[in-house]
Amino acid sequence: MQLADTRDVQQAFANLSEKQALDEYNFEHFRTKHLLNDFKLTASNRGILPGELAPDFKLPQVGGGALRLSDLRGAPVLLHFGSYS
Amino acid sequence: MRFVDVVIRQAHPGPGARPYDTFDAKFHDAERYQRDAHIPWPVLVDDLEGTVHQVYSGLADPTYLIDADGHVAYFSMWTHGPTLNASIDALLSQGGRGVVNGGIDHVVHLLPSMTDGWKGIRRGLPQSFTDLETAAPGMASGIWLGYQLRPVIAPLTLRIDPLPTPAKIALALGAGFIAYRAYRALAD
Repeated sequence: MQLADTRDVQQAFANLSEKQALDEYNFEHFRTKHLLNDFKLTASNRGILPGELAPDFKLPQVGGGALRLSDLRGAPVLLHFGSYS
Repeated sequence: MRFVDVVIRQAHPGPGARPYDTFDAKFHDAERYQRDAHIPWPVLVDDLEGTVHQVYSGLADPTYLIDADGHVAYFSMWTHGPTLNASIDALLSQGGRGVVNGGIDHVVHLLPSMTDGWKGIRRGLPQSFTDLETAAPGMASGIWLGYQLRPVIAPLTLRIDPLPTPAKIALALGAGFIAYRAYRALAD
């Protein structure tokens, strides 16, 4: 599929299958189903695959301001997702 | 090479790590996340719905390498230092563009979490421990044990360079020896 150069994360989220609702995403208790879901997501290649354009986003930054992913073009980026807990 | 972190939902909620119901609470934890881990690069905060996180897989601990043109060069589904390090080298050696190292690592790398995951779980104690132990018996206590053994096992489990071949052979022989002794002990 040819992706536009301005592919946006909001558009990708709107088209996402099996996305989690707010209270499901921010679960109260870690359960077996969460671990199994991670295995399922891994097996189903969930995410942005190699060669695809990384959907652009702009998020608030600790310390002030915000950062847009596409503003970093011109150099490779390591993008890590992590949880406080 | 630029580095960026995005803070996502609570992975192991508990009294000291409540599920987020306001963006301010999530932002506050992101500040502590950056400070406690001494992260020198930008730390961004995803929205409460996890819009960016869910689009970028929704996995517990993924890392992407994005090339200079904005395309995914490598996707480490369960962040793993050695393969990421090798992929960074490969990406830089080809001018920062293109897919590297097969493009994707599906391997469920649990050893880093078994060594360092306690740092996260302890923020939600005691619920985070009992929830994980109930969900996957032995995992929470194993993570606690791994953290206690960190000085011994971290050079192996948290390394960022691929193991040299002689070390892989030595580990395989050691595992084989332990398995053999266990088999003999059970057989006797």
